[in-house]
Amino acid sequence: MPFDALLGNYLAVFLATIVGFGLIATALIAARLLAPFSKEENKRTSYECGMTPIGSTRAQFSFRYYIFAILFIIFDVEAVFLFPWAVTLVDASKTAFWEMIVFIGVLGAGLAYAWKKGVLQWNRE
Amino acid sequence: MTEGLNLDYSLLIPEFLLVGLVVAIVGLDLYAPKMKKTWLAYIAAAGLVAVGAVSLGYWDTDDNFANIIVVDDYTTFFRVFFVATAAVICLASATMVAEKFRHPGEYYALIILSTIGAIGMAASRELMTAYISLELLSFSLYVLVSYQKFDAKSNEGGLKYLLLGAFASAMFLYGMSLIYGITGSTYYSEIAVGLQNPTGDFQWAMLMGLVLIVTGLGFKVAAVPFHMWTPDAYEGAFPPITAYLGTTSKAAGFALMLVLFSQAFEVVHDDWSWMIAGIAAATMILGNLVALQQHNIKRLMAYSSIGQVGYMLMAIAALNSDTAQALLVHLVGYMVSNMAVFIVIIAWYNMTGKDEIADFRGMRERAPLLAWVLAGALFSLAGLPLFAGFVTKFVLFQSVWNEGFYWLIAIATTTSVVSLYYYLQIMRQAFVEKPAEGEESRLPVPLLMNGLAAALMVGVLYIGLYPQALFDVVEAATDVLFV
Amino acid sequence: MHSPVLTLVLHLEEVLIVGAALFAIGLYVALSKRNAIGILMGIELMLNAVNITFLGFARMSVSEDPIQGHVFAVFVITVAAAEAAVALALAVAIYKHRETVNIDQIDLLRW
Repeated sequence: MPFDALLGNYLAVFLATIVGFGLIATALIAARLLAPFSKEENKRTSYECGMTPIGSTRAQFSFRYYIFAILFIIFDVEAVFLFPWAVTLVDASKTAFWEMIVFIGVLGAGLAYAWKKGVLQWNRE
Repeated sequence: MTEGLNLDYSLLIPEFLLVGLVVAIVGLDLYAPKMKKTWLAYIAAAGLVAVGAVSLGYWDTDDNFANIIVVDDYTTFFRVFFVATAAVICLASATMVAEKFRHPGEYYALIILSTIGAIGMAASRELMTAYISLELLSFSLYVLVSYQKFDAKSNEGGLKYLLLGAFASAMFLYGMSLIYGITGSTYYSEIAVGLQNPTGDFQWAMLMGLVLIVTGLGFKVAAVPFHMWTPDAYEGAFPPITAYLGTTSKAAGFALMLVLFSQAFEVVHDDWSWMIAGIAAATMILGNLVALQQHNIKRLMAYSSIGQVGYMLMAIAALNSDTAQALLVHLVGYMVSNMAVFIVIIAWYNMTGKDEIADFRGMRERAPLLAWVLAGALFSLAGLPLFAGFVTKFVLFQSVWNEGFYWLIAIATTTSVVSLYYYLQIMRQAFVEKPAEGEESRLPVPLLMNGLAAALMVGVLYIGLYPQALFDVVEAATDVLFV
Repeated sequence: MHSPVLTLVLHLEEVLIVGAALFAIGLYVALSKRNAIGILMGIELMLNAVNITFLGFARMSVSEDPIQGHVFAVFVITVAAAEAAVALALAVAIYKHRETVNIDQIDLLRW
């Protein structure tokens, strides 16, 4: 029975998938048949805002970028604690409110420390 | 929700003080750039000692914070234990850190943070708190091991430690999720209740959960076959951090194991006892045999510590109130002896920049006090009478023997004799071999290092000659676990 | 044939099987990859398997206090992020030196 229910639920998804694939296939095939084609060599280069691409695709990012990314991960994910807190705030006690303030304060202190250390400075001497 | 829960923050004052100390040290490093950096170490050590004194005020309390953190004699014991270890490490690294690192404040801050994690592992009575504490300890250690940013070995040791440590946590967590599933709780006491009436369906899930938890913790305390990270992390790390890895991280692992297995899993003792007994046997044999062929002192101490972990695991396998006491006694004896050895290694490395065993030649002529401390501490680790190691090993082996693990004791005594051989190799370099040409002069050992070495040696002898005081303390500490 | 309102019924077994499969995949990736970042990805998969298992148990098994499983999952997510941050910082530091994060080539220390 649950399996039947599962299938029933997904019937619509399945149909949508088929219709979607059908539409795209028709469009591609029709374009192939109807549209005029040019065999220009430049067509095979990758498109970058209309400029001629220079150098290899595997560009190196600056290491500084990774430091930002690492900091971002931390502050981004720590926010996950805010959601359950926000949902239950009305019923929770006053302590819960102040505990979250303390938590945000700790995060803020971490950010301030990174700032003071110059991690957020892109052009360090 | 919070009704009926004891939210008494005053129980956690020592931890709050440690956090305050972290902030103070980082702030000083940042806002007082003119200050001599060695002072940071002294401030950190003084703060840690003060926190240790404050924790002593909690002796004889038996209270809990929201049922997740318990403050009793066991917690107090480990608070003082970890704080003391961290203080010694801070002092031992004072000169080196000031010379080598640009940001010494973070170094001490990380040591103190990891101490908070270690205390949490001993104090928590709930799986999630234990896990978070474990990760607080581990993360700080990952960073500390790789703290020499421009040293390839240090980075490599750190990365290997981190990857294997994270892998182990994942195993540990999966085990916890299975145990949570079959018992419906993450509190140790409720897990014990849940395991008391096992239903047939869950027998396999429970075994699987236990295997995963033992694996995860086995990684953390570096038991064979999960020890691969140990020698690399030990060799790569800065010498004081190597000492720290060998004491705090191991002791914290055992503190957690002892509580977890005695409070939560005691009812299914037969299901995990054999696993740990097997691991203990493998750990003793492999650790001590591989130690024989090492030529770097830090790697040798890594394998020697693996061997010691094997002895301690025997106590977990045969867990009851006697072996628990013996385990804590042995932990203290091991901590003091191991620290004494490492103080000598650190002092020697500071002065000569070398850490191969062959580089210890002629230590008796060049730094006699260090040489004698080294000899005493190594004899203690091997378990010779007069020194701490003899008493603690004797108590440990005796209590495990009483539980009927005769074959484990046979292995343990044999491997102890093997260990004497490699400890004697170091002593041969220090005492018999003459110093290399042109290096015969006496070395100017700093007063601080001599003092630390002598103090630890007094500790080794004190425990070796008059262990009764330690026994009394440990008895009070473990009594709360077995009521 | 079907009732007009279709309800999706998931059983604990199904959730646990997905969790176990994900854990096994993560385990395989972590053990077989030779690239530090790849290993880390495997470990993250294992942690997500843990989350699925926790949430499955919390939602579906008879437990007096289902909140624990949810809270545990949230904490695992954040700890995993912190772990990734430390690991990436280390990988960057190693890459600066050695121009590789392949653990077969990071071999100054062995035995």
